[in-house]
Amino acid sequence: MFKPTQTAYILKESLAGFHRRKLTTGVTILIMGSALLVLSLFSIVTINIGALLDHARTGIDVRVFLDDAMDDVAASELHRHLSALPGVRQVAYVSKEQALVEFRRELGEETELLDAMEENPLPASFHVVLTEKAVDADRQREIADDMRRWPGVADVAFSEEWARLLDHWRSVFTTATLIIGLVVFIAAVFVISNTVKLTVAASARAVEIMKQVGATNAFIRTPFLVEGLLEGLCGGLFAMAVLIAAHAVLRPSIAGLIFFTPAQIAGFVVFCLGLGLLGSWAALHKYLRL
Amino acid sequence: MAESDLYNGPLDPRTVVGFHHVELSYGGTKALDDVSFRVTNGEFVCITGPSGAGKSSILRLITMDAFPTAGQVIVRGMISTRMNRGSIPRLRREIGFVFQDFRLLEDRDVYENVAFAQLVVGIPGAEIKRNVMRVLTQVGLWQKRRQMPRTLSGGEQQRVAIARGVVNSPKILLADEPTGNLDPAVAQEIVDLLFEINDGGTCVVFSTHDHDIVRSFGRRVLLLEHGRLVSDEERRLGDRRKSRLTDGMYRPREEIEREARARETAAARQLEGE
Ligand SMILES: Nc1ncnc2c1ncn2[C@@H]1O[C@H](COP(=O)(O)OP(=O)(O)OP(=O)(O)O)[C@@H](O)[C@H]1O
Ligand SMILES: [Mg+2]
Repeated sequence: MFKPTQTAYILKESLAGFHRRKLTTGVTILIMGSALLVLSLFSIVTINIGALLDHARTGIDVRVFLDDAMDDVAASELHRHLSALPGVRQVAYVSKEQALVEFRRELGEETELLDAMEENPLPASFHVVLTEKAVDADRQREIADDMRRWPGVADVAFSEEWARLLDHWRSVFTTATLIIGLVVFIAAVFVISNTVKLTVAASARAVEIMKQVGATNAFIRTPFLVEGLLEGLCGGLFAMAVLIAAHAVLRPSIAGLIFFTPAQIAGFVVFCLGLGLLGSWAALHKYLRL
Repeated sequence: MAESDLYNGPLDPRTVVGFHHVELSYGGTKALDDVSFRVTNGEFVCITGPSGAGKSSILRLITMDAFPTAGQVIVRGMISTRMNRGSIPRLRREIGFVFQDFRLLEDRDVYENVAFAQLVVGIPGAEIKRNVMRVLTQVGLWQKRRQMPRTLSGGEQQRVAIARGVVNSPKILLADEPTGNLDPAVAQEIVDLLFEINDGGTCVVFSTHDHDIVRSFGRRVLLLEHGRLVSDEERRLGDRRKSRLTDGMYRPREEIEREARARETAAARQLEGE
């Protein structure tokens, strides 16, 4: 698209802002880098909380209560069926008697009520532990529904409340990250468009001469766009450098800390380039009349 | 045969600039009103008139920096009313511009200021060097090529601006009050330089509010008052030409070119005969 002399000019001019306004450009990169750092920290925290929640959910169990009428054959068939269900890790049988012992233990002192009963009122049950893959609330409901259809199953109780709570916290953190992302997005575009605006103002005469001698609008715009792009890149690299250094320091002391994958880091840098481009585009849109 | 008879309407390939009943309004006020004239290849035209008469407006219309609110402007075959914006840069590469206030880039030296005009339109490096050397030699500033604009006198700065204006070998050089900031002796040097450039075949349009200077040039003068063209020396040659101007407007280009060629050969034959 551009001739070699033009390309050389564009590269040189893109760095002109860095040259002429070292302080402004430096501060811009620093502000943007810090904002991006906050954003990436929140992303890391969200990712890690998500992982923690997933891990915590593996402790979630489901109780399958059985009809008193169910015989041993039917019970062992159900046992096999439950064990074969996808998402089920472990199935343990709890008899009526065991259930009563457990219940007594839970009640502690106040066992008179139970003593007064002639018959054991507690049903036998299967204690089902789910795998990590079956942790989300929807999958649990599917499993429970499947179990309920089985003859001889009186009821299925699972820790829906607990699952809801975990989901709630996950969405709180995800929302927080998105909001911070939005704020960082706006702030970054703003600071970059502000410095590019200065370059546009400083280049007013050069732009006028370029128009006069017949440079194309695309050619006139490109150095400004590249300047924003470079500032975005520098801000992103700054944030990533700090984050990677912090990770290297903290990793030994925090077991199981999850960090960005290389693909996520690349995506983050591309995001910063996009911010830079958008910032300079906004400045050109507002301040460069061609 | 008068030379002007070789030419026909504004679409004649020899017409460099054609104004056809041009009106230009800024908001409510008319800066130009029913202005028609034609500038042919290699001509030196002075536009004069008091401040606010519309001189700069005419130059802006020629570079298609502004478009007429009525009528048409035709520059090297490009018609203002049928112009696509994308081809404006191509048009401007054929037009050099010199301003009253020089408008040099203060952070670049003389050489870089001139080279800039070539650089941004993509001329290869080796060619830039050759061209800049040529024009800086022509304006007598090759020796001062490494000086910054602010270390030069006004006349020298204007010479740099002229060098920048002609370095892309434009067909037209527009000079908007180029002598306005200079004292008379220096102004005369600048005018002589413009004559020299015109002798090289570049059409020059020179605007100034100083009517007396222009009288002494012995060149064509367009006089503007309140946005109206009140006198045009060539127009005063006869009304015949004036009607031709509008007649030729909508005729097919091939026909006009054919006729122009025929007249040219006829004229050449006549010259041989003498
Ligand atoms: N951008 C603009 N917006 C509004 N009015 C304008 C604009 N440019 C010029 N005008 C008006 O148009 C008229 C002609 O202006 P123009 O600059 O063409 O005059 P000029 O002959 O070049 O004057 P001068 O000798 O002072 O340079 C003036 O009345 C001026 O006020
Ligand atoms: Mg003017």
